[in-house]
Amino acid sequence: MLQQVAWTVTVSLVFLLFLFFALVFLSSRKQEDYAPIIKKWYKARSWYFWTIVTTMAIVCFFTLSKLPYHMPHDQEASAANYKSVDVLAAQFSWTLSDEDFTEGDNVKFNVTSKDVNHGFGVYDENMNLLGQVQAMPGYTNEIYLTFKTPGKYKILCLEYCSLGHHAMIKEIVVKPKGGATNGK
Amino acid sequence: MASEVTKYPVDSLTKKGVAAHLTVTILLLIVLMSFGAIMLLNQANLVKVTPTIFYSVMTVHGAGMVGAASLGGCAVLWYFLCQYVPLNPKILMINLWMSVIGVVLILLGVFGFGFTDAWTFLYPLPAFSSKFYGTTGPMLFFFGLLFIGVGYLIVYLEMGIKISRKYGGLFNGLGWAQIFGKGGDYGPPGAVVAATMNVIANSVGILAGAFVIVASILNIINPNIQIDPLMAKEFTYAFGHIFANCTIYMAVAGVYEILAMYTKRPWKSNKVFLIAWNFSTLFTLMIFTHHLLMDFAVPHWLLIMGQIFSYANGLPVMVVTAYGALMIIYRSGIKWDMPSGLMFLSMFGWVAGAIPAVIDATIVVNHVMHNTKWVPGHFHTYMGLGVIIMIIGFMYYYVKVECGRRENEFDKVSAAIYSVFFLGLTGSFLYAGKIGTPRRWAEHLPNWILSDRVGATCAIIIIMCTIFFATRFIFRLNSQQRNISSGNDLNEKPLMVK
Repeated sequence: MLQQVAWTVTVSLVFLLFLFFALVFLSSRKQEDYAPIIKKWYKARSWYFWTIVTTMAIVCFFTLSKLPYHMPHDQEASAANYKSVDVLAAQFSWTLSDEDFTEGDNVKFNVTSKDVNHGFGVYDENMNLLGQVQAMPGYTNEIYLTFKTPGKYKILCLEYCSLGHHAMIKEIVVKPKGGATNGK
Repeated sequence: MASEVTKYPVDSLTKKGVAAHLTVTILLLIVLMSFGAIMLLNQANLVKVTPTIFYSVMTVHGAGMVGAASLGGCAVLWYFLCQYVPLNPKILMINLWMSVIGVVLILLGVFGFGFTDAWTFLYPLPAFSSKFYGTTGPMLFFFGLLFIGVGYLIVYLEMGIKISRKYGGLFNGLGWAQIFGKGGDYGPPGAVVAATMNVIANSVGILAGAFVIVASILNIINPNIQIDPLMAKEFTYAFGHIFANCTIYMAVAGVYEILAMYTKRPWKSNKVFLIAWNFSTLFTLMIFTHHLLMDFAVPHWLLIMGQIFSYANGLPVMVVTAYGALMIIYRSGIKWDMPSGLMFLSMFGWVAGAIPAVIDATIVVNHVMHNTKWVPGHFHTYMGLGVIIMIIGFMYYYVKVECGRRENEFDKVSAAIYSVFFLGLTGSFLYAGKIGTPRRWAEHLPNWILSDRVGATCAIIIIMCTIFFATRFIFRLNSQQRNISSGNDLNEKPLMVK
């Protein structure tokens, strides 16, 4: 979802930017005095500046109100609702203290590393990246995820950790509610 | 500050130094772009290399590209700065040799002794790898980086001293006298302001890098000497972010000078311009924390500041520099050629690269896009369509002004092809990021391969264009140098006017 928003916004803004540059490029064939242009463009710049600043402030207001650093507000704000799973990264594997997951589970992953930096990235069955956190030796980072659908999820390493980096994949199975053995 | 600015001619040693910097830059670009293509071809399953080769090539590609862009940017900045502030050209040559020695050491460390820990060498990975692959590789790599860094520190020392002498202190190089109402309406020329920013910001960045490199070396020699991995990462990204950003802040001096010259419109450093550069200096020093948004152990207020200031860092370029470029071109009757066209295009590339960067600096977006190919997508945009375009544009300017050589239609067609396919390359990276493709993976899953194939195709065409630019530059460089003073009087430059 967020990836789609990021892509759409980027493509749209780059296209708008291109249009603006193209218009100015086409205008460059004419020649006019610079002084009136400066006056006009400086006036427009104030509007442009405040439009960007206001947009940025609004985006910050909404995006900073729901950060991945905390337990999601839409869950009942109680640690008891979260299953706590310790994750240990090491070249080139993941070890989880508990791999028994069921659809709807709210999970708090406590992620650390025993050797070098790694990146703990959780992908769903369609290979959409659901969330990530760094796995750093000497630190434990907590990430909150909810397995909304059953299926095979993958944990991929998202921080370069040497020659086996791309092989650092672990599959976890999230069972459907009611006890069927496989997600699909 | 007087609005009339004295300009000095460019001496022959400086010209040699600038030409040598540009030659090394364009040759390095070809080699390093080829390395990039190898990585894409491998990820696209079109050629197969071992993970060792892939990650070796990746390490050199990363370190080398930032180094090459920095060399080219330095040449642009030096060439224009020395026309306002006389500089010792021997320093420029020292920098070139320090960089060349650094590159040789890095190549030896990677291809000779198996260092594959990426140009970001995140502590404690080098020490950990050295247990298996030996200590020579990382040592050569780190000393290579130190050589390059020291070369730039010497350059910045020379620039800083000379700017301070001429303008009465380094901060006056950033226009503080004008900002605080003590020095007239206009500050020093844009090239001086840009140089001052680089002196301040990049010196701090390089010193941060030197700290973490020395700590990593000591950790390899004696594993009992350790530093905190999170602090090491902060220093590493302070260095990497600032050094990479400063490549464009150096090269942009060419945009100010060349577009003003071609349009015959002054690009004056008024208060808004100066304030923007002061904020750029500050933000460039601060916003490396957006590389640590997924390190939840960092104090959260610092990460929130990382998002806010990363947003704010887009303002100086979007509202002042790029806007200024559009304003100076608008109805100017400019003669479009390679230098003017590429400098204009580079401003598009810079802002286009800033857009996905700002979006990725949004913490909730970073949570699902950090370390995916979205990240190389944004920095390849501002590097390939920003910095490199500025450097190539300056190469054409240089041979035009210093060697009196005109371009032809093939140059323009090559530039158009380069730009279109570079947009294709970065588009393929951004799309790959959208679908969750991790960066720095030697092997890709089947659903990631399509974007790799698009990227690889674009990369090959980009390399061909770059080989063409390099050939044109190097061969025309050897032609008789014209005996004209550099940048003093537009009327002496019929090549730039209609």
